[in-house]
Amino acid sequence: MAKLTIDDQEFEFPDGTSLFDACREARGEALPHFCYHPDLPVAGVCRLCQVEVEGMPKLTIACNTGVRDGMVVRTRSEKVTQAVQQILEMHLINHPVDCPICDQAGECGLQDQYMDFGLYESKVEMAAKVNKRKVKVIGPQVILDQERCVLCSRCVRFCQEVTGTGELGIFNRGDRAELDVAPGVELDNNYSLNTVDICPVGALTSRDFRFAKRVWMLKSARGVCPGCATGCNVRIDHEGGRVFRLKPLRNPQVNGSWMCDRGRMTYKAVHDERRLLQPVRDGKDLTWAEASGALAGMLQGRSPALVVIGPHASLEEMYLARDLADPAAVVSGPHDLDRGSGDDILLDGDRSPNRKGLASLGITELGAADLAARVGAAGGPVLVLGGDPGRDKTVAGALAQCANLIAIATHDGPTVQAAALALPGAAWAEKAGTFVNRQGRWQGFAQAVARPGAVRDVWRILAEIQALAHDGSGPQSLRAVRQDLVTSVLSEGELDMDRMPEQGYVPGGGEQ
Amino acid sequence: MSFEGLPIGTAAKKRSFREKLYFPEILRGLGVTIRHLLHNILHTADMPTMQYPEEKRVYSDRFRGRHRLMKREDGSPRCVACQMCSTACPADCIDIVAAEHPDPSIEKYPATFDIDLLRCVYCGLCEEACPCDAIRMDTGIYEIAADKRSSFLVDKEFLLNNTTDGTL
Repeated sequence: MAKLTIDDQEFEFPDGTSLFDACREARGEALPHFCYHPDLPVAGVCRLCQVEVEGMPKLTIACNTGVRDGMVVRTRSEKVTQAVQQILEMHLINHPVDCPICDQAGECGLQDQYMDFGLYESKVEMAAKVNKRKVKVIGPQVILDQERCVLCSRCVRFCQEVTGTGELGIFNRGDRAELDVAPGVELDNNYSLNTVDICPVGALTSRDFRFAKRVWMLKSARGVCPGCATGCNVRIDHEGGRVFRLKPLRNPQVNGSWMCDRGRMTYKAVHDERRLLQPVRDGKDLTWAEASGALAGMLQGRSPALVVIGPHASLEEMYLARDLADPAAVVSGPHDLDRGSGDDILLDGDRSPNRKGLASLGITELGAADLAARVGAAGGPVLVLGGDPGRDKTVAGALAQCANLIAIATHDGPTVQAAALALPGAAWAEKAGTFVNRQGRWQGFAQAVARPGAVRDVWRILAEIQALAHDGSGPQSLRAVRQDLVTSVLSEGELDMDRMPEQGYVPGGGEQ
Repeated sequence: MSFEGLPIGTAAKKRSFREKLYFPEILRGLGVTIRHLLHNILHTADMPTMQYPEEKRVYSDRFRGRHRLMKREDGSPRCVACQMCSTACPADCIDIVAAEHPDPSIEKYPATFDIDLLRCVYCGLCEEACPCDAIRMDTGIYEIAADKRSSFLVDKEFLLNNTTDGTL
């Protein structure tokens, strides 16, 4: 342990802590910085995190200094403020100050630092600035603006250290130094949009989000990426009922600070044209009142003969659906096991977010042939939810033969086509729930946008089926469902699912 | 302020016999009216009434009238769709959709720029927020009339070629 004084207060940190982290903890906010990133190696190129250390002849950068016993550090002295201001002026010498057309405006490191430390008039005429390439498309997802770059090298380090692909580099020297892709190379990897996230300025921007919205207009909700079994923590940025982008939230236990480009595009499915927006019976749109009548007619006071739960359902939905029928009549299918391979960074070969949830509730997963046989032998209403088992040809054949198929679905697809009654359920960003990722970690997500059309929350549909089938009332709130779920799967009061820990919860201990 | 001593309720004032007759009082009131009428006929220049629309009030040069969008030298809109105006707008009446401009030195331009004139409160915050001097309220137009609500939703083309007669 090292005892040191930061801004006249004593603190104790374990040996090996960087002074940057120590100052962040001591001050309650990070030092001004561009190049430091908790999940990247230290570069020390932006020179902004300068602090005054007693006994050192000059100011020193905190990110590249370790804590030492007896250190006396000042982070807010006049000398420090003046140094930061001068360095910031250097960073801005050739900056085009085109904030009005820059997508980063509103979440830009330069803007933030300038408001905190700058506030000076520029000494450089606009005409005297060194011009570089603007609007350079460097890959399928990313656009580069070399003028805006402050050469912090975060993106370069990301491509070297995290993906190991090394597409980006800083070329030339002095005020002609510029970020670029290596000659003949594109920034084309599945993690390229992370460079946009970590870019502290608007040098790298996303082609998908380009000019779509000014960032200060967006509202955010906490989510879990539904793209694969990894369950990266995301921030769902939305406005006016539309999701505009997903950004990774840092969770060192799951995804670090990153997420893959595939996962980022999963939001598009929420606003897909194939969304099921009305209850449908035999190709005709119904109102919910008519649909409830049809549902009652099909169930006739009985439980469904077979419930097929897919790994896209939330844990709460799985729990409700499991208890709709006899345990032997609740199964899952071979959903999404053939959708591609994973990599050893984040992407998992299993492209469904909640397969571990099925296992934690003891729901059997059947192969295609077995599931088709079970559907064929059901002899009563079959309820399908949480995925589209009809993507598999064998299962699709059996579903087509089933006369009493009820599907709760988000999108049109083979199962909805085969269904006698299709009910529109909320997609992932339109409901709150929990996914269990490949580590067995329970991770909660919140509702971001309003449900479109006649779409209903899936737990409400399941509660209605429960009421119809068991001639009683179903659960009244998601909170009640969650309390039951915790009591049944964990132990009572073990976890408050409405206040899930930020890093998720792994039942039975392990690495939290 | 003290309410002490003030009468409570609406008890009627005692009227004199003359007041109870009504007619003398009515004639007295008509007398006041006729006196003003004759005064106005004889001194028309003192009359406060304005002969609008033949005669119009002169407003200050800084009067905020209907908006217009400024053009570049080549006639394209000066606006870069930064949406500072719609952010600043307290009435939320400006709707802009940005798009990619083929010229990388311009980069961003408004594909649509709609203002709902019925919502606008003519506060001028949009003008003030604009970093490119692209939106101005210096047309002096305040006579804004139409027979349909939808006519008050004006688009980019209209704002770029703002007419001065107030028709929509």
